[in-house]
Amino acid sequence: MYGWTGNILRIDLSHRIYKKESFDEKFALKWVGGRGFALKILWDELKPGIDPLGPENKLIIAVGPIAGIPAPNTGKTVVAAKSPLTGGYGDGNLGTRVTDQMRKAGYDVIIIEGKADNPTYLYIEDDKVEFLPASEIWGKGTYETQDWLYTRYGKGAGLLTIGQGGENLNLYAMIRSLEGRAGGRPGIGAVMGSKKLKAIVVKGSKPIPQADPEGMKKLGTEDLRKVQQIDRETGWSIQGTTGVLAWCNEVAALPVRNMRKTFHPEAWKIDGERLNAARVATYGCPNCTMRCGITILDHEGHKSELDYENIGMLGSNLEIFELDQVASLNYLCDDYGIDTISAGGTLAFYADAIDHGAIEGDFRFGDAEKAKELLRLAALRDGKLGNMLANGSLRMAREIGHGSEAYAMQVKGLEISAYNCKFIPGMALAYGTSPIGAHHKESWVITFEIKQTERGSYGPEKAAKVIELQRIRGGLFEFIVACRFPWIELGWDVKNYAIYFNKITGLNWTVEDFWKVADRIYSLMKFFWVREFPNWNRQMDYPPMVWFDPTNADKEGPIAGKILELDKYDRLLDYYYEQRGWDKRGIPTLKTAQELDLIEEATEVQKFTKLE
Amino acid sequence: MKVTVKLIGPFIYKAGFSEKVIDLEPGATVSKVILTLNLDSSRPHIVTRNGRAVAPTEQLEDGDRLVIAPIYSGG
Ligand code: SF4
Repeated sequence: MYGWTGNILRIDLSHRIYKKESFDEKFALKWVGGRGFALKILWDELKPGIDPLGPENKLIIAVGPIAGIPAPNTGKTVVAAKSPLTGGYGDGNLGTRVTDQMRKAGYDVIIIEGKADNPTYLYIEDDKVEFLPASEIWGKGTYETQDWLYTRYGKGAGLLTIGQGGENLNLYAMIRSLEGRAGGRPGIGAVMGSKKLKAIVVKGSKPIPQADPEGMKKLGTEDLRKVQQIDRETGWSIQGTTGVLAWCNEVAALPVRNMRKTFHPEAWKIDGERLNAARVATYGCPNCTMRCGITILDHEGHKSELDYENIGMLGSNLEIFELDQVASLNYLCDDYGIDTISAGGTLAFYADAIDHGAIEGDFRFGDAEKAKELLRLAALRDGKLGNMLANGSLRMAREIGHGSEAYAMQVKGLEISAYNCKFIPGMALAYGTSPIGAHHKESWVITFEIKQTERGSYGPEKAAKVIELQRIRGGLFEFIVACRFPWIELGWDVKNYAIYFNKITGLNWTVEDFWKVADRIYSLMKFFWVREFPNWNRQMDYPPMVWFDPTNADKEGPIAGKILELDKYDRLLDYYYEQRGWDKRGIPTLKTAQELDLIEEATEVQKFTKLE
Repeated sequence: MKVTVKLIGPFIYKAGFSEKVIDLEPGATVSKVILTLNLDSSRPHIVTRNGRAVAPTEQLEDGDRLVIAPIYSGG
């Protein structure tokens, strides 16, 4: 078997033991890697209903066959667990040196189980694992933690760390690496913190098994150069993802004021142009020639690496239009190790709830200094307010009541990222059906929708596009494990990834083979949710009700008076379910399970709900 | 007639400006503007006129706001 090391490293923190296990070709071909491996392992090994922050939950770190091989942009690793924020399947990916180091150490997957007695970090070097005391770094931010580890293990080591957010079980704590890389939005950092695991250091020295290493090296290096050339010609990385802010502002899709508004006259102050002009450094992931981490100095003088989601959710959505202050909020989130999207969404919800009299408080939109203080409270779970904020907008809304759940901007408990879908039905569907809760990474249909369809339409072509993009973005790139940007931003043909895959594995797959794996993974992710929530219904795939509320329609601008319509959204969901082979509740049918080779999994899920 | 052109992302550096009012012959189309600005129309892009997507052949009117953006995927 080429392309996979064939090894899983299983680490038990409770008993301070570890062992190397192997997986066979059948498992590799069925689930490929990354998200596929993580999902299948969590499905097989977790008992339904377990406490996500208890020792029974497992933290999975997984890479795929192309991860770490020099080729366009293969420096990503998937981190996954049962999510403490949503209660369902949770994962994310991040750029990190762990990617190639764990492959070189001889593993495709690391499973971390149990719970350490005291703060611990793991040092993994090839076949050896050390359980080391983390008392000196427990309580520290991710930057200081990384520096401490770099001093001991060198800059080339792969590091994954959590900050105070993960330690204190903030439900949207993430795992961090490198200058500004973070992954695992649905609280995967809190799962790591619940295990008293502060950091993981990985070093490896073995070759990654490949069918044609010389051919792949030549092709991958050439293609990295070609991608760099296209990036230079198009100028994409001058603003990277941050260019999208000015565009969203023009087409009334920007999150402003807890997504109450869709554009703002001051948005230009925090846009990609201003950000690029303020740039002091550029960072990125390993194996990438289109580095998109624009770094500026924040209000306090720290280097802060920003992308579109950061400026959208911590800037416009909080009506904070001072770029250095937005950078400060972003730096704090990165240092505490909490998700900028959920942090921005939760703070915006809090300000909105105060505005609507649902809760008393002195936080107002636009107040950057107070926002900094609230991030500290949330990261440390300091006091009653800190605890509420640390739980995310949905739980907070349920606690304070007064109808505020309607404007907690989340799906399945995960805060909506920076696209305001007040009048963008297909993108609302993408959020509604994202398998980890609202996230743009699964499917990004907004430009297709605005350019090629009637914006306010709800036809089957929109459902088809959401699925097509989910197969590529949430499927392919999450299981071979690579960054999607060369494809989506520079038009780098998705077929190239089949070529890499075949060179590495010696197989002869086409992209259609990838789509089948992607569909299998999407259906199993749904089974995972259904097993946790046996009364599953289609309402779980609805966006927040405020998007259907006519009184919330824009009063001016390009979408004045327009709003989503629930009966039509339901029809769109039907199209989506039909095309996926799922029933009216949004659950895969038995026939679909059969076609996707998920019979064993269907039998398991039938213990909880009847399949059609 | 006068039309405000707003460029997004990399197009700013190609054309050398971010936003400006340009003078056009009455009846000028979207493609005419892209040609005038010397932007590479073979690259995927999206043009909106007063917030709504438009075809290259669409004629502009005095006072329009035209936004020309490459296709983006976000963060
Ligand atoms: S394009 Fe950005 S996110 Fe993607 S690999 Fe490069 S630096 Fe990382």
